[in-house]
Amino acid sequence: MVFGESDISDFDNEGDLPTETMPLMMGPSHPAMHGTVRIALEVEGEKIKTADIQIGYLHRCFEKEAEYATWTQIFPYTDRLNYVSPMLNNVGYAIAVEKLLDIEGKIPERAQYIRVIVGEISRITDHLTCLAAGAMELGAFTVFFYLIKGREWLWELLEEVSGARLTHSYVRIGGVVADLPEGWPAKLREVLAKVRVALGDADKLLTRNKIFRDRMDGVGVIAKADAAGWGLTGPVARSTGLAYDVRKDHPYLVYDRFDFDVPVGSTGDNFDRYAVRLEEIFQSMRILDQALATIPAGPTIIDDPRVALPKKRDTYNTIEAMIAHFKLIMDGLHVPTGEIYSFTEGGNGELGFYIVSDGTGRPVKCRLRPPCFANLAVLTKVLPGLFIADVVPTFGMINMIGGECDR
Amino acid sequence: MAADTSPPTDTVTVLVDGKEHKFKKGMNLLEACQTVGAKIPFFCWHPGLSSPAVCRQCLVEIKGSPKPVPSCYTTVADKMEVTTNSAKVLDVRRQMLEFTLLNHPIDCPICDKAGECSLQRHYFDWDGKLARNEGDKVRKAKVVDVGKHIMLDQERCILCTRCIRVCNEVAKAPELTMAYRGSHEILTTAPGQRLDNPYSLNTVDVCPVGALTSKDFRFARRAWELSSTPSICPGCATGCNIEVHTSSGKIRRLVPRENLAVNKFWMCDEGRFEYKAVHENRVLLPMVGGKRAKLDVALAEAAHLLRAATAGGGNSLGVVFSFAATNEDTHALARFAVDGLKIQGAYAGGRAAGWSDDILVSADKNPNTAGVKHIAPPWLQTLSDLAADVASGAVTALLVLGNESLALPKGKLSALVVLASHQGALVDQAHVALPVATWAEADGTFTNRDDRVQRIHSALATSGEAAPAWQVLASLASKLGMNLAYTSAAEVFAEAALRYPFLQGALWGPPSPLVQLRFGESRG
Repeated sequence: MVFGESDISDFDNEGDLPTETMPLMMGPSHPAMHGTVRIALEVEGEKIKTADIQIGYLHRCFEKEAEYATWTQIFPYTDRLNYVSPMLNNVGYAIAVEKLLDIEGKIPERAQYIRVIVGEISRITDHLTCLAAGAMELGAFTVFFYLIKGREWLWELLEEVSGARLTHSYVRIGGVVADLPEGWPAKLREVLAKVRVALGDADKLLTRNKIFRDRMDGVGVIAKADAAGWGLTGPVARSTGLAYDVRKDHPYLVYDRFDFDVPVGSTGDNFDRYAVRLEEIFQSMRILDQALATIPAGPTIIDDPRVALPKKRDTYNTIEAMIAHFKLIMDGLHVPTGEIYSFTEGGNGELGFYIVSDGTGRPVKCRLRPPCFANLAVLTKVLPGLFIADVVPTFGMINMIGGECDR
Repeated sequence: MAADTSPPTDTVTVLVDGKEHKFKKGMNLLEACQTVGAKIPFFCWHPGLSSPAVCRQCLVEIKGSPKPVPSCYTTVADKMEVTTNSAKVLDVRRQMLEFTLLNHPIDCPICDKAGECSLQRHYFDWDGKLARNEGDKVRKAKVVDVGKHIMLDQERCILCTRCIRVCNEVAKAPELTMAYRGSHEILTTAPGQRLDNPYSLNTVDVCPVGALTSKDFRFARRAWELSSTPSICPGCATGCNIEVHTSSGKIRRLVPRENLAVNKFWMCDEGRFEYKAVHENRVLLPMVGGKRAKLDVALAEAAHLLRAATAGGGNSLGVVFSFAATNEDTHALARFAVDGLKIQGAYAGGRAAGWSDDILVSADKNPNTAGVKHIAPPWLQTLSDLAADVASGAVTALLVLGNESLALPKGKLSALVVLASHQGALVDQAHVALPVATWAEADGTFTNRDDRVQRIHSALATSGEAAPAWQVLASLASKLGMNLAYTSAAEVFAEAALRYPFLQGALWGPPSPLVQLRFGESRG
């Protein structure tokens, strides 16, 4: 049949209209799609029939690169996994190697507190990015500026700590590379107060905004059973009512000393994911307040020249420290033969590192469990039945980050 | 009559870290502990040398002995109870390391041994404590020219005496000694002596630190930049097992590899410099009539010349084998020339004979004389026979493999096809010269003077348009319509192994991937 030539009047009712479905590619160049991801939709009119999530070929090769780097050289690669919360990746990787080294219990307390502090700041920046971008993609551009400004303030603080705005590489096996700068905790308190104001503004602009609620409420509903079945973690899983948070369920560092709640949603729709993230930011601030109040003084890295680089002064003036420095840099620290799966709560959920060591200075295998990979996969079940326009908020609230999702 | 090979008195039972083990009577306790996986650090002990027990690093506890004893100086005895990892043992080892490091200069950044240094490794594995002393270190001479190939840094020396024992026991040339006492003790040459024996560079290998360094390798490359490939020294018929250390596409040094049946742990100084020729004076491009040509053109021209020369029956065509070529290249040449072209006149050349000793060095300076003699036809003649045959006109065309420095009477040959890796008189005269790979760029096997077939691995990519000779011969064969389609050296070897009795039982072995010294943990 050729359209336009045959007698259109033959189709006198809807049932006679041609019923083939149409393929539609969302991404990879769609502005609301992140990185190389594209969703191959099969649509029937405006309705989605099937959705095939294709994460594309970013080719960061994190896992392969890790096999050719010493244990310490992997930190910069972890910065670039979920690049809106690099500190959490630093911490997750460091803890994995420390478990294999069996020095987990010897990390100085102050270092553990610092890890919590920079990690929670990173979690806030992660959630801010997701909320800001999600709102912007629905047309709420003002909110984007309010929240991204808050993120920038926090990144400036992390830059002060680590020397880099985004690619911090601040954590080391055995601790962190340097102590917090002088006067920094006060600055953090100031910034948190400002971020609270920005969040309040965003909250006012979004939470009771009809346009926003219409796009979010009841859209992209994930059942609690699916959250468990598809291996979802983080805010996406918690939005369905699954109260799984590694910080609570398998406490690491000093998280068991802090009083904080794990917010959960009830329906698992886009709005729940928005609300969970918003509340988690406030919970992270609670942790930060407590950590700043109780952080002990002391060293910030383990006192073992076989794990941590000696002080420069010693390196230049004693043969012992020189050798330790030399071996750590040239050969890498010696991680005993073995394997481990270690996981922490990343910005998007359970960030896991499965590491195999053969006793040399670099891993045989460094497998990453990226939380947003599993979180994204469930869209193939969630999207069918929704309208094309629903893809944007649903995908946005998953918070897929290319650098981490890349396989 | 069945002999009783192991009477019960030949073994002793020793308790190592609580586990019972049986060892051969008379075995060194350090070696015995190593065989059962107990880790013991040592500086002065070396499996190929005597035990002086001067470094005190290999201390272990033996039940009944009031103090820890050096395991390298102890013989296993029945019912001995040894502890290699008690807190006390670990502590005395740490203390010994602290003592050794007391006067060690802070040289790692400028020391050639850094990265493959036993002192660095043992500190990292067994000490791991920062310095406690704050006094000055004892200063000694830093750049002492002790020999033709060797520089000595007396400050770095930890006085293990390994080098002295190498000179005394391996080279039989007592040139090194200790002088003075206590913290002023130094390693030095004996009065009026230089460290110039033909095995002097082994002292650099056994030196656990950077006290003795090779002038050739000194400051050339950092050890951790090197990659290692196992191979065989092409310098003489002994066939010492070596490691070829490469970086950035060049060989940086050759070091001996343990083979108790051939070279034990050693090699001669001459052999170490065999690598230089690999990068010098190479034939890199095919030549026709002295001019560069495309490989395909050169092959076609060579095929044309050889076909014309064999048109009358092939009796006036001669083939020259090389005692320096691998068994595979030699077999391919035999198949090509003798089976394929039916060449009657077979000659063999190689490097000229030289000096020898009864330690390692052979007078025959070719690595594969035995193999070539097994593979080439039995009527093999010498190069002086060839010169006579060319002069008399019995040979009017010649196919040569190898780098012969042979001056042939001009205008006597209607065809001269040379497969060579290096420039020379013959390449200059050749109608067609085809570049081939050297020993360092090809896989293959050499047969040493004791008929031991040993594997070489390619350590470098081939240079220019060079290819292994078997491959060049296979290409030539296809131009001549001959069936000689090899695709790998392993295939040539497999075919050769079916044909020659001396290869029976020899195995090609697995491929040998490059080992980065940085992560290989093989040295230091």
